[in-house]
Amino acid sequence: MPARRVYLDNSATTPVDPRVAAAMARAVVENFGNASSVHGFGQQARAAVDRARREVAALIGAKQNEIVFTSGGTEANNLAIRGLCEATATHGRHIITSSIEHPSVAGVCASLEKRGWEVTRLPVYQNGIVKVEDVAAALRPETVLVTIMMANNEIGTIQPVAEIGALVRERRAAGHRHLWFHTDAVQAVGRMRLNVDEIGCDMLTMSAHKLYAPKGIGALYVRRGVRLHGQNVGGHQERERRAGTENVPGIVAFGEAAKLAREEFDARRAHDRALRDKFEKVVVERIPDIVMNGDRELRLAHLSNISFRFIEGEGLLINLDLEGVAVSTGSACSSGTLEPSPVIRALGVDDELARGSIRFSFGKDNTEDEIEYVVEVLVRAVERLRALSPLTLV
Amino acid sequence: MSYSAKFKDHLAHPRNAGELSDATAVADETNPICGDRLRLSLLVKDDRIEAVRYLAYGCPPTLVCGSVLTELISGKTTEEAKQLTRTDLLDAIGGLPSRKHHAAALAIETLNSALRDR
Repeated sequence: MPARRVYLDNSATTPVDPRVAAAMARAVVENFGNASSVHGFGQQARAAVDRARREVAALIGAKQNEIVFTSGGTEANNLAIRGLCEATATHGRHIITSSIEHPSVAGVCASLEKRGWEVTRLPVYQNGIVKVEDVAAALRPETVLVTIMMANNEIGTIQPVAEIGALVRERRAAGHRHLWFHTDAVQAVGRMRLNVDEIGCDMLTMSAHKLYAPKGIGALYVRRGVRLHGQNVGGHQERERRAGTENVPGIVAFGEAAKLAREEFDARRAHDRALRDKFEKVVVERIPDIVMNGDRELRLAHLSNISFRFIEGEGLLINLDLEGVAVSTGSACSSGTLEPSPVIRALGVDDELARGSIRFSFGKDNTEDEIEYVVEVLVRAVERLRALSPLTLV
Repeated sequence: MSYSAKFKDHLAHPRNAGELSDATAVADETNPICGDRLRLSLLVKDDRIEAVRYLAYGCPPTLVCGSVLTELISGKTTEEAKQLTRTDLLDAIGGLPSRKHHAAALAIETLNSALRDR
């Protein structure tokens, strides 16, 4: 194990906040009752779930009965997209999405495509952002769902969701009654100030483990009046939308994490942004032949995605890992087949840049001292790999 | 994926990296599917590999296969080097998952190409 460890992969998951862990541990022991039970033990668990639901709702400006707890972001995306499409199938079978969605959205859309739905995947441009006019142009009378993420998980670019929400509402008011808007906000929750009414979305996906809570718990916001076919059936939980005994400790942890995210929002964002900006400034000064991926302004404050010319992302990732620095890369090589990140490819860059992209994502527990260490390690690793690269030969 | 200690050592400290200015044979091969690339330069005197350098671009197994290969063939006769197989290289590395075996295949192919080049 390396002498020092620095975690810069907060977009993959975040370290659990000790305050969240403490709340969860209490709930495991004290609120063991089944929240559906009528007796006191059950009611105590129900009250804990309700408190958490209010906190999660408050984080996005929703009402508490609009929050459906799930096992995480992937399940919430499945419930939103498949649940909505199944419920509206008699009205139309067309979905509009983007070409840079998380696999849990892209995969559900692809599975519906096999079952007869049509899917339009909108391009992003060099800046990694969808154009609202492209959404408008793609709308058809049979379109039932627009699903476009709030902020991208690899490059952090923020999509024009409020404009898309306004467009969908305008079309609905004009008579396109079965048109709905879902946004996957897994990367944005806690990192951006969100309000479902300002966004104008009908459904919004969240995941707790990106918010310093443990894995295994997420939620889908479902605006009142939106009909969904439940994907987990066989119980009345979550207003018939998600059958299964509630994960009370997970829900309590999510509630606590949501409360802290709201209270500490400004401090966390300023902290992340300061570290990210410092990191980028020094990297640009010290490492030549790099490309920063995604729009420079319209992006999450805690994330930096950089392509390093002449080298491959996985080699750099493992070199950093050997020195205790955790980052991620979107490219993967398996069975001799190269799979460069589809997100970076969607920006229109060449294969070499797509293969050499690394995501650095910062969090509330990172320090300036850590950033200085990471830069030193990164400079050395890039130099070592470039000295080895035949691509640097003229 | 978890890599062996030997694998990590070669990744962090590549052996014989670079190019030989007095090479007698050079080969540069690319895996057409994934784009991984390996370049070997050999200095062969009296049918013996007196010096070897390598450059590599691609996933970590490709970088490591290049490094381990140079250690295996350094000082060997060309006949001995020709006998080297993909399995020998994989054994020397301490094994690779099957989906990464293509890295060893590229290394052996590049070696054979260099030995033909003389």
